[in-house]
Amino acid sequence: MSSPAPATVRSRLSTQGRGLAGAAVERARLTVVPRRRTRAPKVPFVTLVSLLLLAGVVGLLLFNTSMQQASFTTTALQERATNLAAREQALEMELEELRDPQRLAAEAQRRFGMEPAGAPLFLSLESGKVTGERGEPAERLDLVPDQPTRPGVLDPAPIVTTVFGDVPADQVAHQPGQPGQPGQSGNRDDTARGNGQGRGETGRTGSQQQQQSQEQQQGQQQQRSPR
Amino acid sequence: MSRTRQQRLRPRTRGSSDVRMRSGFILIAIVLSFFGARLVQLQGLDPREYAAMAAADGSVTVTLPAERGDILDRNGEPLADSAAGLMVIADPALTAPRATELAKFLSTRLAVDYFRTLERLRVEDSRYQYIARQVPARIVSTVIDEARARASDAAEQALEAERDGDEEALAELEEIADAYNGLSTERDPVRVYPAGDVAANLVGFLGTPNPDGSAKPSAGFESMFNSYLAGTDGETSYQVGAGNKIPLGDSTIVEPTDGRDLVTTIDRDLQFFTQRIVRQTVRQSGGESGIGVVMDTRTGDILALADDPTYDLNKPDEASEDDYKSRAMTDVYEPGSVEKVLTVAGLIDAGKVTNRTRLLVPGRLDRQDRSIGDYFDHGLLRLTLAGVIAKSSNIGTVLAADKFEDGQLRDYLTRFGLGQRTNIGVGGETAGLLPDDSMWTSQTQDRIAFGQSLSVNAVQMTAAVNTIANDGVRIDPSLIKGSATTDEGTEVGTDVATTRRVVSDDAAHQTMLMMERVLDPEEGVAPGAAVPGYRVAGKTGTAQRVGEECGCYDGTFTVSFAGFAPADDPRFTVYVVVQDPTNGGGGGSVAGPAFSRIMSYALRRYAVPPTGTPASRLPVEWR
Repeated sequence: MSSPAPATVRSRLSTQGRGLAGAAVERARLTVVPRRRTRAPKVPFVTLVSLLLLAGVVGLLLFNTSMQQASFTTTALQERATNLAAREQALEMELEELRDPQRLAAEAQRRFGMEPAGAPLFLSLESGKVTGERGEPAERLDLVPDQPTRPGVLDPAPIVTTVFGDVPADQVAHQPGQPGQPGQSGNRDDTARGNGQGRGETGRTGSQQQQQSQEQQQGQQQQRSPR
Repeated sequence: MSRTRQQRLRPRTRGSSDVRMRSGFILIAIVLSFFGARLVQLQGLDPREYAAMAAADGSVTVTLPAERGDILDRNGEPLADSAAGLMVIADPALTAPRATELAKFLSTRLAVDYFRTLERLRVEDSRYQYIARQVPARIVSTVIDEARARASDAAEQALEAERDGDEEALAELEEIADAYNGLSTERDPVRVYPAGDVAANLVGFLGTPNPDGSAKPSAGFESMFNSYLAGTDGETSYQVGAGNKIPLGDSTIVEPTDGRDLVTTIDRDLQFFTQRIVRQTVRQSGGESGIGVVMDTRTGDILALADDPTYDLNKPDEASEDDYKSRAMTDVYEPGSVEKVLTVAGLIDAGKVTNRTRLLVPGRLDRQDRSIGDYFDHGLLRLTLAGVIAKSSNIGTVLAADKFEDGQLRDYLTRFGLGQRTNIGVGGETAGLLPDDSMWTSQTQDRIAFGQSLSVNAVQMTAAVNTIANDGVRIDPSLIKGSATTDEGTEVGTDVATTRRVVSDDAAHQTMLMMERVLDPEEGVAPGAAVPGYRVAGKTGTAQRVGEECGCYDGTFTVSFAGFAPADDPRFTVYVVVQDPTNGGGGGSVAGPAFSRIMSYALRRYAVPPTGTPASRLPVEWR
């Protein structure tokens, strides 16, 4: 079954071109070639890879370390920048306080005895004419600040208590004439100066005291009447 | 035989291993079911919260504060300035055992009250107490650095004590270390007002910040332009390790938008000078309050707006809250004779009179409901209109105003800007009161003609007088340079200021010539308002004042002086008002000299040369 076919092929080949076929057949006839064993040295490769790995790891480590270091530096420098900015602002504030017109005016008046200028004269450069009237220096500026208003808690209304008791007649008569009493309007800054009676009424005006004495007397009368 | 033995043997060995295996499996199943339940809890129930918690661990979110804009004067000098500040916070849970020591430490360095600090350091059930607020960053950082140093010293000594086995010392030192570590800081910007009380009533101040750290504007521009000034805070979040930002960690940043600077038209030095003069005037005259306004005639810029009494912006607590507002804008009063110049300017513009119109002025004028008198007794006077203004005659003004047609005076006054808000950016401005048509009777007109029965605020009145200085064209006054938007959404400033013609050029000029006669040493009532070397036009006002209690004229007065200089080429309009002077002075003697000093300073400061032309010689009387 199989033999006739190659025969016909061969016969056909033999007629058309034996040389080419022969070569092809020759080529098709393969044989096992003995394996060539080339032993590449392992050591350099392993070393190379190890080195690469090592370099990578070390590099990464160094890189990380340096980044971390940079981060420390950043934090430190940022802190310094913040501090310096705060300092700059503090100095600027100080400068602004020094430039406060109120302070400047006070300084000029007190320390250098300066006064607000009067009307100036004008020299015209074109005509060389002087215009304006020379004014006298103006009145000094009143730079005394307003007194702070005291909150109600610190400045309560005086507590007036009417004391019922026997008041010697001579004392009642003398009180309006006590020194240091007339003309005092408040009880703020005069607590040290008393009328020597030690009754805590040091700041009251004479008329108030007189009035109180009258009230006292009236009270006594009222007290007496029911009896 | 062998099977039975095997069976006998097996249950023992197999049974015990089975039990072990089973119980082992059950145990594992139990553990795994716990894991499973946890997994469901983590992933199924609220995964987001846990993810957020995981992200938050080790990451820090910092608010990037927007810097609040400054408030500046027209030359860029600061009226309000922001600076970095910090607050000091204590954790009483840590500080309480060592409160006395800490209170001493803090009170000597931070200028805080010892006893209050002590109390705060000991508050129970709290981990957050303010010790000091709005302290400049430099001071706080020194103090906190010292506290940290003390804490670490104590911690080191504690280690030594531990080595030595000294229990008592160890406990004490640890307590100290904890206490000093219980102090921390937070951002708390400081607002400073370098000029103190200069323009205080306009600028306003920031109160103690809200608990969330946002600013709490309490008055003036700070409150009116809060959102304009405030800006928007930004935010950054990043991961940290040991206090340092992790270089390649996650980080996001939203940049803050800084607030914008508010530039006013105020001239700080002129404002200061005006305030001092107004205060001096109020003090000398025994007045209740005073106002001074300086306006640039040509641009309508308000160069100074002084109120007295005022307060120090850095110490608002020391003043009464009533003094925080700007009286020049919020309080109305009857302008009195100053208003006469508006009446006559209108009359001249309407073609009814000229400044030489002759009038016969009787000593008293009986009108429908009452008789009108002048402040000085006189018989029949032959005054020109200029004389009526120079001598400030009510009767003369009423007689002249009779020539108006119906509604004409009201029309003029409306165009001069009376009865309408100026909207210059000050909160709580009152519109004043100009009776409307239905209330406008001939009696009302008589009184309005010389400045009673209508009320104004000081800036309105300045702008109205400035109209005459500016050749009859009214310029909207402005207090903000450029433009800015108030919190109410109104845009204000020089950019949106408009102009309108109220009276003709000629009417304004004639009125000016009459106003110049007011300062004449012989004919006028206010020679004290003169500025040496310059031509000055002005008008006094002494108006009866409506008392707050009775709602009627209570016998007190509002004295004022309004004017401009140089009269023939005006640069500034100045208006000075003093309420209720108790020394019996009038507009000429109280407000006049103050006007003179303010005007003289302004002219000198801006180097305005005198015009050198001769002063008006208009006749005041006729025969």
